[in-house]
Amino acid sequence: MMRRPAPSTVRWVILAALLVFWELFPRTGIIPELFLPPLSKTIAVLVKDWREYASELSVTLYEVAFAMLIACGAGILAGALTGGIALLRNLLLPVFSSLYAVPIVILYPIFTAWFGIGSQSKIIFAGVYGFFPVMLTTAAGIRTIDAQLLLAARSMGASLPQQITRVIIPASIPTVLSGLRLGGALTIIGVVVSEMLTSAAGIGYLVTRYRTILDSPHVFGAIVMILLLSIAFDTLARAIERRTMVWQTAGRRQKEGERVDVAVKPATAVV
Amino acid sequence: MTANLSVVRDAPARAAIEVADLSHTYAGREGPVPALTDISMTVGAGRFVVIVGPSGCGKTSLLMMMAGLRHQTAGTIHIQGAPIDAPDPHRVGVVFQEASLFPWLSALDNIEFPLALRHAPREERRARANDMLNLVGLQGFGARYPHELSGGMKQRVSIARGLVQDPPVLLMDEPFAALDEQTRMTMGHELLRIWSQTAKTVVFVTHSLTEAVYLADEVLVMSARPGRIIDRIAVPLPRPRTYEMMATDVFGRLRERIWQQIRKEG
Repeated sequence: MMRRPAPSTVRWVILAALLVFWELFPRTGIIPELFLPPLSKTIAVLVKDWREYASELSVTLYEVAFAMLIACGAGILAGALTGGIALLRNLLLPVFSSLYAVPIVILYPIFTAWFGIGSQSKIIFAGVYGFFPVMLTTAAGIRTIDAQLLLAARSMGASLPQQITRVIIPASIPTVLSGLRLGGALTIIGVVVSEMLTSAAGIGYLVTRYRTILDSPHVFGAIVMILLLSIAFDTLARAIERRTMVWQTAGRRQKEGERVDVAVKPATAVV
Repeated sequence: MTANLSVVRDAPARAAIEVADLSHTYAGREGPVPALTDISMTVGAGRFVVIVGPSGCGKTSLLMMMAGLRHQTAGTIHIQGAPIDAPDPHRVGVVFQEASLFPWLSALDNIEFPLALRHAPREERRARANDMLNLVGLQGFGARYPHELSGGMKQRVSIARGLVQDPPVLLMDEPFAALDEQTRMTMGHELLRIWSQTAKTVVFVTHSLTEAVYLADEVLVMSARPGRIIDRIAVPLPRPRTYEMMATDVFGRLRERIWQQIRKEG
């Protein structure tokens, strides 16, 4: 019998297959090059015009950085307040939960009217876009803290500030971080989409500009840049999550059965 | 190593815990609900008292009031001669049903937590926590995180944390309820060893009658809600207790007497 290949191997094989198809299908003419230029052509364009891509990417990165600052800062603050204070929670949480379901992109034209078509409107739009998941997960993270832990801390004489810094904050970090990952991803979407709609700079702007002149390789070049940006962000966010939550990842590893260290053995001696 | 723990109490004959005419009523949906009525009890210093009673009789509430974590509507609680109206870790240590360890802290850091709250010097904290870790039989496990410990080991850490400030009184709220029978027996035995080494006054709440008789100097039986103390049973079994005692007639009769009381209430 054949051994089943590891999931990571399968993932790489699927990715490689997709890349091969990307190269072959347009070349054989099954898909017109206008719809999908071959991978090699896309890469060639990226290499030839790397200066243009780099300068537009720097604009996008700059906007993403500030938008994330807004989304995370305001999101955590608002989430902590609504999650921690019952009155605010009852007043605001239902409103924000419903707002989250509204396609905020409809507000973007208004933002351009208020803040112009430069970076400012993108930063504010994407910041608002990313704000909601950060705020809602932070509030949820604080609300779902095990009440027993707070009771235990109180029994040990923890003051309210100590309960906040030593119990509530560390206990809500895992949920907050997953909110930041989601919020960050939405911020990137927000920036790119707003650049595509109304703009004179940024990677999203490149997509729109080259699309109107039917230059597919350049469009795909920009798409590849956005993909790489998202992947880079996600990888970074996951790395931060892993580093901050030793206790959580350790638990996860144990569940996957990768933990076979001998150190577990002496545990059987003590119940 | 643990010699510094068995401090001689200044007044051994004095009561460690005095509860007088305590009643509690909480606001229910259809008006006030009486939860505890006319509880009076005295626990002598160094005694091991177990409270048993049917589910919902308010025994946990009573314990939380002794810990200063909840307030009664009437009556007084004195611990070490002074009223307790807020948690005071220097007088009372608490061990909860779920070990309630902080999952982001190692076992040692969990034990140090109460000392860190009052900004004790780092070396003192480490030394004290290590002593406690040894006391509960977990030497070598200090760096483990709670998820890497078994249920019994978690409760050992929790007991160590409850004792780290050396409070004269230890309150335990069904600490072994979530453990399997075997671990539970071992932990009960371990608790008695720790108790005999530290000379604490212990109030222990449980559902298990066997556990109650095995551990206690005195068993208090509570009625169904509103909780009252309906029986006080002295356990004349000698110390140290052994597993063999469970098979004796005395043990069986005591267990039966408690069971009869609780059954009437159920």
